Amino acid sequence: MSNEIKLVFTGSAGAGKTSAIAAISEIPVINTDVRATDLTTLQHKSKTTVAMDYGELTLDDGQKLRLYGTPGQQRFDYMWRILIKGALGLIILVDNSGTDPIGDLARYLDNFRGFINETSAVIGVTRMDISAEPNLQCYYDYLGERSIQLPVFPVDARSRESIVMLIQALIAMLEYGN
Amino acid sequence: MLSSAQIAQLELQLNKLFDQCQVVTAAVVATIDGHFCAQKQRANTYSLERLATMGSTLMSLGDTITAELKMGGCDNVISENREGIVVFMHVGRDLVLVTLTTQKNALGMLLSHTRRCVEELTKTL
Repeated sequence: MSNEIKLVFTGSAGAGKTSAIAAISEIPVINTDVRATDLTTLQHKSKTTVAMDYGELTLDDGQKLRLYGTPGQQRFDYMWRILIKGALGLIILVDNSGTDPIGDLARYLDNFRGFINETSAVIGVTRMDISAEPNLQCYYDYLGERSIQLPVFPVDARSRESIVMLIQALIAMLEYGN
Repeated sequence: MLSSAQIAQLELQLNKLFDQCQVVTAAVVATIDGHFCAQKQRANTYSLERLATMGSTLMSLGDTITAELKMGGCDNVISENREGIVVFMHVGRDLVLVTLTTQKNALGMLLSHTRRCVEELTKTL
């Protein structure tokens, strides 16, 4: 495996992609957040990412992770295609307090289907403390219906420990296969 | 989001831009977070809703790059291409104006008229 790994965080707006990268990056995060103007986004946060986030993390074994975050909204899907080029793994964050978390997951599985089939991905479910439903079994049931085998973890996007655990799971899958 | 009166102002200023600058092929205004506000084009050639969103992305990257280099705010981003030129400019704090021409030698005209349009929009909104 190369000593540098590109990972991409994607997921619904407000799911915690920018926070997750900020929680683990060892360099000041480069972000492209601007003021949100639509009510849907403003319900969650005052700013939104319109191009990308970027951070870096060096693991204990010396591997350097280059961490990219995508914008969440579908209208920025051209950035999804740009950012996924050359990536080795994908982290999908889903906001469990959103109106349709399983639907959100479906959207990102569909948009990144080709990439997921070729490499690997993990799913992190955020804000389970605010909304316990759907529970993890609901996510596994949905993935099972689609014959997709990906791990699902409850995570706190602000917690370094939580996000590092998610990344370690993804790297283990990349190194040893799914 | 903008009121209908503000959108009418945007459309008025885009009409003026097209009257004063014959090289402009199309123009679109978006919010800074990529929502389409208003557009005008000489022929119905382009899908400008996508360009509106891309305008917000490009200006944000321009701002991020100039902040990284400590060069102050980004005034505009210019894309010179084989078959035309695209100019991206901030309109105040909340909007982005994107103009384009299919004439390869019209950068000066496009820039000066786009800048004038931005000044008018900033005054009127």
